[in-house]
Amino acid sequence: MKFAMPVLLGILPLAAQDIKMPANLDRLEAKASEVVNVQLDGALIQLASRFLSDKDPDEAHVKRLVGGLKGIYVKSFEFDERGQYSMSDVEELRAQLRAPLWARIVGASSKKKGENSEVYLKTEAGQITGLAIIVTDPKELTIVSIVGSIRPEDIRDLGGHMGIPKIDFETKKDKKDKEDDK
Amino acid sequence: MRAAIILLLTAISAQAADREFNEVVRVISDEFHTRPMSIPFFGLVNAFTAAVRPAGTRHIDLAVFEHLSDHDRQGRNLSEAILNAVGRSWKPFVQVRSRRNGHEETVLVYMRQQGNEWKLLVTAVERDEATVVQLLLNTDALARWMASPDRCARHWNGEVTE
Repeated sequence: MKFAMPVLLGILPLAAQDIKMPANLDRLEAKASEVVNVQLDGALIQLASRFLSDKDPDEAHVKRLVGGLKGIYVKSFEFDERGQYSMSDVEELRAQLRAPLWARIVGASSKKKGENSEVYLKTEAGQITGLAIIVTDPKELTIVSIVGSIRPEDIRDLGGHMGIPKIDFETKKDKKDKEDDK
Repeated sequence: MRAAIILLLTAISAQAADREFNEVVRVISDEFHTRPMSIPFFGLVNAFTAAVRPAGTRHIDLAVFEHLSDHDRQGRNLSEAILNAVGRSWKPFVQVRSRRNGHEETVLVYMRQQGNEWKLLVTAVERDEATVVQLLLNTDALARWMASPDRCARHWNGEVTE
């Protein structure tokens, strides 16, 4: 059945996001074996946080983290085979994440898995106002846009919640903590 | 006892499907020149649902289309038509388009708050069948959707029936 999903995903409201999904990513939808789009605006995030327990330490932590968020947008593509997308497909997206507003704070790659994670931080008037994550894998591409106040080191704890993928990376603070422990 | 059942069924049937649910059903009907299959005793399903609340669901409106064929299609952009039918009062929540092993499925999930309650409108379209479901969820079920929307959308059918 020709369902024309790319058109649908293309016309979904993206105005609240800090980053705009480039048109070339819409074209990738035709090649992908699965495309998932999750949109949580501020009201839905606050609703979600109400269901997190204050008694469970992990849930209480996540509840505190999402308190300052205005939006979480996740888009992921899965491909059946390697090489069905290229880094140039992601370049248009990266071009939006440039100084002075944006700064890349983490770039982690795993040669074994072929996975590459990048975290970008948006700062306005000295305040963190957004965060973007790009995770590339030979057969998978995930883009996360988080709008609102969040610390980079908290991203790991949000992984696995509200459609955000789990991401394993070390921030400068983690490295410093490790060095202090030695 | 019989009076209680009648009262329960009356109360449940009074909870009619939202206009948008009927609109999405109409869009699919028009597109494929067909009607949803009739589900006998569906009122009883809702009576059961209201009492037992499977997977945290309090109320279900369901329309199932079978034996859909591209041959009968009008040829409109179905995605756009559904988006227009749903309107702005429902928030787009999750969309999944899966195409694996020759099996294609698109799931569109919208959410709407009504007082203290939340409703989900799920439309799933496969090669030869389509399902439109409106669910009234309790907080536990809603929490599951919010915690893992992508997983729930992939297995939405299980979420309804588990």
